[in-house]
Amino acid sequence: MSSLPSAAGDLNLEPAPGSLGGDAAPPPISVQGASDNSRRRKLYSRLFYLLCVFISLLSVVVLVVLLASITIQGQGMLSWQLLTGAHSELHPESAGMWPSIVGSIAICGICALSALPLGIGTAIFLEEFKPTSKPLRLLHGFIQLNIANLAGVPSIVYGLLGLSLFVFMFNVFGQIQVNESAGIELMGVDRYYQVLTLAGGGHTVLIPQEDDAQATIQIDQPVMAVDSQGNEFELSVWELGTPRPTDPAEQQRTVRKGAVGGSYAQTGWNYFRLPFGRSFLAAGLTLSLVILPIVIIASQEALRSVPPSLREASFGLGATVWQTVRNVSLPAALPGILTGSILAMGRAIGEAAPVLVVLGATVAKNSGPQNMMDNVVTMPVLIFNWAGRQQATYQELAAAAIIVLLVVLLIMNSAAIYLRQKMRVDV
Amino acid sequence: MEQPVALQKRHFRSTGAGVLQEKLMIAVLAGCALLTVGITIGIVVMLIGQSWNFFQSEHVSIGEFLTGTSWTALQSRDLDNAEFGIWPLLSGTFRVTLIAMVIALPCGLVTAVYLSEFASSRVRTVLKPTLEVIAGIPTVVLGYFAILVISPGLQLFTGGAFDTFNATSAGIAVGILCLPMVCSLSEDALHAVPRSLREGAYGLGCTPFETSMKVVVPAALSGIISAFLLAFSRAIGETMVVALAAGTRATFTFDPRDQSQTMTGFIVEMIKSESEYGTVQYFSLYAVAITLFVITFGMTLLGQIIRRRYQEAYD
Repeated sequence: MSSLPSAAGDLNLEPAPGSLGGDAAPPPISVQGASDNSRRRKLYSRLFYLLCVFISLLSVVVLVVLLASITIQGQGMLSWQLLTGAHSELHPESAGMWPSIVGSIAICGICALSALPLGIGTAIFLEEFKPTSKPLRLLHGFIQLNIANLAGVPSIVYGLLGLSLFVFMFNVFGQIQVNESAGIELMGVDRYYQVLTLAGGGHTVLIPQEDDAQATIQIDQPVMAVDSQGNEFELSVWELGTPRPTDPAEQQRTVRKGAVGGSYAQTGWNYFRLPFGRSFLAAGLTLSLVILPIVIIASQEALRSVPPSLREASFGLGATVWQTVRNVSLPAALPGILTGSILAMGRAIGEAAPVLVVLGATVAKNSGPQNMMDNVVTMPVLIFNWAGRQQATYQELAAAAIIVLLVVLLIMNSAAIYLRQKMRVDV
Repeated sequence: MEQPVALQKRHFRSTGAGVLQEKLMIAVLAGCALLTVGITIGIVVMLIGQSWNFFQSEHVSIGEFLTGTSWTALQSRDLDNAEFGIWPLLSGTFRVTLIAMVIALPCGLVTAVYLSEFASSRVRTVLKPTLEVIAGIPTVVLGYFAILVISPGLQLFTGGAFDTFNATSAGIAVGILCLPMVCSLSEDALHAVPRSLREGAYGLGCTPFETSMKVVVPAALSGIISAFLLAFSRAIGETMVVALAAGTRATFTFDPRDQSQTMTGFIVEMIKSESEYGTVQYFSLYAVAITLFVITFGMTLLGQIIRRRYQEAYD
């Protein structure tokens, strides 16, 4: 709505002549008192206006102070090292946030893949398939109310749900203590025993594990083994008292009789198990629960803004409801849906509490995720960790990491605005 | 009756596959929608199931939990000495929330009135994006702002009367966080008030102040109250700001200068402590979470109902 005529100017409170303004026609009775009264009322009005301006400016001031203080605090730490390095307990001055950047991207990818189809689907169902009977109408209203309520649930509660639902899966795959059992492994993992060879220097070979329950193996006779390149060979056994092999290559393929090997899991990128454990998959799915209501509400608004005449034309041509949705409503609402989705993803990138609950508070990780069940660090969790430390260096690091995070958010929001401008369909 | 040509040709009729596809799509979309109900059910089942483990323990009773004024789940490793009374956490939460609301509600409402009634389009182009940017700032950043600027600022102005971690600095940061939400929801409500009401008020000789405060705001009251309730529930559930800035000591007091662990702050501390799964102390976090959920869910539900039921319809 445009501003009202009486206060159209920035600081000009005097109503323009002929507009709906204050003292144009003072009431005929008790003229003296009324003019006093109206002077006081106009003064109040002017004071209120100044209060409005002052308080509104306050939010601008707060934003400026926030950005300025963080920039001043963090600019000293902004460097290439910050972007490429990893967290370090001993040398905070050389710490970086590369693993957390990769982690955030990975989690947001999972989050987008699960939340967007689900959210847009729900929005389409609620907006385009209007209920026809009374019980259906009730159900419709209930789902709508439920979504509004989900939007108000604190994100940390979603974190706890993710912990039960994705990390432990309600313990249906056995009682899983924190980070102990592997649960049911479906693919992408090879289990071996790792045995020290005679070559020394920590050189080991791997022996394929047949029985998962047996945690260690004792080698008394030659068995088939695998070296670090993945070649199979027969492992020979050297017994005390017999001549020890001297050739280094031979030594690398020989173990002492009675040597004990511990179990070792070699995981490929497609390692998959149930439950998900403290993995970025679990964190991404948890975040998708957090942003689902946001995606739904934004998509619903976008669909609602598509003029009904478009749909009616489509129905008039004999299209079914789904055909209308696919060919008419959805394309027309796409810019709005995309904008809402990107804003929701921005929320997901900045969200720390649920990730903290699902993945734990540890930040000691040197790389991004190695497989689908790998733990990761995200930017907000790293910032939380650094900001909670006493040392001045970590405080500055936190500010620098915040700058990086804000830049990422800025890029995403600009993309949203650009998409909105570019894809706007004039209807 | 003679059928139109289009319907006589088989080509134009609905095919079985088409009808099936239509039904399938509806089923898939309905499944998506029902899943959101499943999430709510999941939350409730999870919270009740896990806090059941807590209340089952002989060291805890529901009465003690609801009335006790001492909370030492994290401090006492020894279960016999641990006390589980929710009130310190509740009082911490409400101290922070109250301070946040004292800032966010008046400022948010006044800004909304300004935006909707007075601001020129030039001011709007500055103010609205500013509020959107504040709304988009991650909460962990505001928590850092609280310990970087607000808390030292408070200590400076009061000569060190405030603790390094205190309820006030966390409350101010949460207030900043809630302000855009209050503002945009209230502005929506003010927008819905028809122009004719304002014109009527001006025609009776009201000043702009009287028009907005005595006519427009009361007309939009249901929307504004619902905005307040939603902001309240958001402030109660806010986590990262209080985890960083409000301190880790659960205190049962009304002193805003003291440390005040909130319910969400306790959950984060418990998670951070990597406490062993299965201990009573660990399960106590679910008892706290269910309290938190009941309060925020109630607030949100009330806000939604007020908005729907008491919405004044203008045609």
